[in-house]
Amino acid sequence: MVIVKRKELNWYERLYLPEIFRALSLTFRNMFKKNITRQYPEEPLPKTAVTRGQPRLLELEEGSLACVSCGLCEAACPAYAITIDGAETENFIEREPKRFEIDMLRCILCGFCEEACPKDAIFMSDELELAGFTRQGQVFGIDKLRRPRAALQKRIDYVYRINDRWRNSSSTQ
Amino acid sequence: MNETLVTLLKILLIYGGLINVAALMTLAERKVSAWIQFRIGPNRVGPWGLLQPLADGVKFIFKEEVVPEGANKFLFRIAPMLAAIPAMLTVAVIPFAGEIRIPELGTFDLPFFGPTELGGITTTLSITDLDISVLFILAVSGLSIYGIILGGWASNSKYSLLGSLRASAQMISYELTLMLSLLSIVVMTGSLDLREIALAQGTIGQWHIWTQPLAFVLFVIATFAETNRHPFDFAECEPELVGGFHTEYSSMKFALFFLGEYCAMTVMACLTTTFFIGGFSVPFWPDAPWFVQLPAFMVKTAFFLFLFIWVRWTLPRFRFDQLMGLSWKWFLNLALANLFLTGLASALGWF
Repeated sequence: MVIVKRKELNWYERLYLPEIFRALSLTFRNMFKKNITRQYPEEPLPKTAVTRGQPRLLELEEGSLACVSCGLCEAACPAYAITIDGAETENFIEREPKRFEIDMLRCILCGFCEEACPKDAIFMSDELELAGFTRQGQVFGIDKLRRPRAALQKRIDYVYRINDRWRNSSSTQ
Repeated sequence: MNETLVTLLKILLIYGGLINVAALMTLAERKVSAWIQFRIGPNRVGPWGLLQPLADGVKFIFKEEVVPEGANKFLFRIAPMLAAIPAMLTVAVIPFAGEIRIPELGTFDLPFFGPTELGGITTTLSITDLDISVLFILAVSGLSIYGIILGGWASNSKYSLLGSLRASAQMISYELTLMLSLLSIVVMTGSLDLREIALAQGTIGQWHIWTQPLAFVLFVIATFAETNRHPFDFAECEPELVGGFHTEYSSMKFALFFLGEYCAMTVMACLTTTFFIGGFSVPFWPDAPWFVQLPAFMVKTAFFLFLFIWVRWTLPRFRFDQLMGLSWKWFLNLALANLFLTGLASALGWF
């Protein structure tokens, strides 16, 4: 059992008024300190290399996707947000997705698809905003997902750097 | 005819001003609270969010009105009016400035009245100058408690009932302190007329805040309790009573309660100004014209209005037994002692 002994207040402390004035002066000084509010739509969120936004598909220089529709990201996705149908093409890389859909309402931005991808074809972009009027509109197809390398470069560099670190420190090497 | 027109004009001006100040106070409350908490506050509607009260008003009007099942419909509807009207009535006797001389405007042919001479009279900037305006204010502002009690009781909700019970107990307790601290001013001035009380404090040295500091502190604290403001806002008390007496209210009825609260705050700030810091008197300029006196009065009142908000975002809420103990064990005794000493000094002819 703990017995808490309250401090006996003297008459000056029992007046409370000096402490009230101290509190008032504190709040008054706070009024002139710098605001920490971010004016969101005008002032966007800070985006760094590690920002893990919505997944996007990497588009190669010749205009085709890097994706070969192997389905590993589909399997890795814990939220079952990815749906892929593959198809053969005449390109040098002989497979590409006919249908690649990510349900953005299901996506939890975990980044497992990015880790699972053997062809470095899907990356977590720095795009964070998601808004729409219908649920169907939030299922993004290839046309909405493809991004040129320049748009994803920061994240690509980051992912390669992290992967290199793992490779270099590996005991099997 | 001339007098009637002038009075009508004054009513329009002063009530328009009061409602506007009350509306702007809702904005000021949010702005000041934001600044104190390192935020920015409403800034989307109009420049610096100045039109926010207007947007709020429009929103309130279009909200659905919900009358709870089992509520006493008549009392439920009438309670917000009872809360708002007394607070607005009291502003009728507050002297905002000294004498105004309206120049001769010539003769006009008015509808219904025929040719009338307009202007050429001297008036004062208060809707009416009662001999007993202090009594009037105390009597009428005491009525606003009915709105809160009826609102809480007629809602058929336990939270509302508890809120209104607390509010009534609190307001009755603090009304005593409020009146007793004012009485010492009345004893000093020898008048129940607010204008004379204001005129008796022509220079800074004569301000009653210096001669009656204890009464000033008691009065200011009692006004916080009377208007149900922090740290005495037991009538609302969000964490304990959801919303207190206005839990069940929605739409414009809810807004009316708040209009009443902010009007009461404005009136109380006006009263503190008039009683303790010289009313409309301008420091170092004893016979200033009315258009200087009015801004002086407004600046002084604005300080006390700011104090209401400032204290709200500084102090935590009392416990209910502490509130009652504070009132009955301390403030009442202090106010009585102060009144006794003032009476004694007055009888001995010290002032």
